[in-house]
Amino acid sequence: MEKEKNMTAEHSLEIIRDSIEQSQRTITKNIGIPLIWWGACVVVFSLLIAYLWKNHGGPAWNLLWFALWVVGCLGEKFLRNKQTPVPSNFVGRTVSHIWGTFGIFCGFIGGIFGLIGGGLIPLELVTPQVYVFGIITSIISLCFGMGATIMGFVLRNIIIKACGIIAGIGGFFCALHFLGAEQLFVMAAVAVTGLIVPGIVIYLQYKK
Amino acid sequence: MFTPLDPLLHSELRLAVMSLLISADDAEFPFIKEQTGATAGNLSVQIDKLSAVGYIEVEKTFKGKRPCTICRITPVGRQAFETYIDALKSYLQI
Repeated sequence: MEKEKNMTAEHSLEIIRDSIEQSQRTITKNIGIPLIWWGACVVVFSLLIAYLWKNHGGPAWNLLWFALWVVGCLGEKFLRNKQTPVPSNFVGRTVSHIWGTFGIFCGFIGGIFGLIGGGLIPLELVTPQVYVFGIITSIISLCFGMGATIMGFVLRNIIIKACGIIAGIGGFFCALHFLGAEQLFVMAAVAVTGLIVPGIVIYLQYKK
Repeated sequence: MFTPLDPLLHSELRLAVMSLLISADDAEFPFIKEQTGATAGNLSVQIDKLSAVGYIEVEKTFKGKRPCTICRITPVGRQAFETYIDALKSYLQI
């Protein structure tokens, strides 16, 4: 591939442009896959926990949220191993930091409330019961929405921004209208709007 | 007066490799191979040339039990790439 002798300036610029564009597309496309995976996990766990909560016991099934992290992380590792290794760039790093921050905050808060639901921490230690389930799903929905909206700004994608706003604000207020297991349906809807749809949009938009 | 083009960068494959690396933190060999469509042998040779002049650094490591080659652009390489772009602009009178 030693064609330097015949390479014009225009051709050089074309190579540079094509290489950068193609790699950006590949890197960005690969951001979408973990979003779809994590969104699907949240939906499945939300519906599963809601079902078990309503039909086979009580809020103790919220302890299953801890399994979400295990399943999610293992699945993401498996998906990454199957793909050609993709480098990180500014956009990829920023999106990863956004969802990493989301994971830290919501994982911690969700974990505490999961332990309360499972009866391992007394409810009174944290907050009066009347607010507990309303607050946690609203807060997580808001965080989902903010994460997705910021990602929409980073990727300059209006659909993702809209999904984030709908997931965050819609989820926040919807969650206030439901108590107990029904909130998990709101969580599932928020995951679809805030993670799965943006993930699919990214994947399709940047697919070759 | 035209600025001379860096002969090390004025090659399709080496230029493509540098363009990939300029926009990423680092990149593994299979990614560069897939993006450039080059053969492993040819790519290795060109990467060695870029590494020899200090435009990129090559880290040979392991991912589990599999060998893994990671390339990243150096400040010298970044500077050379910018100079090359400026030279191209002078040819195109941009």
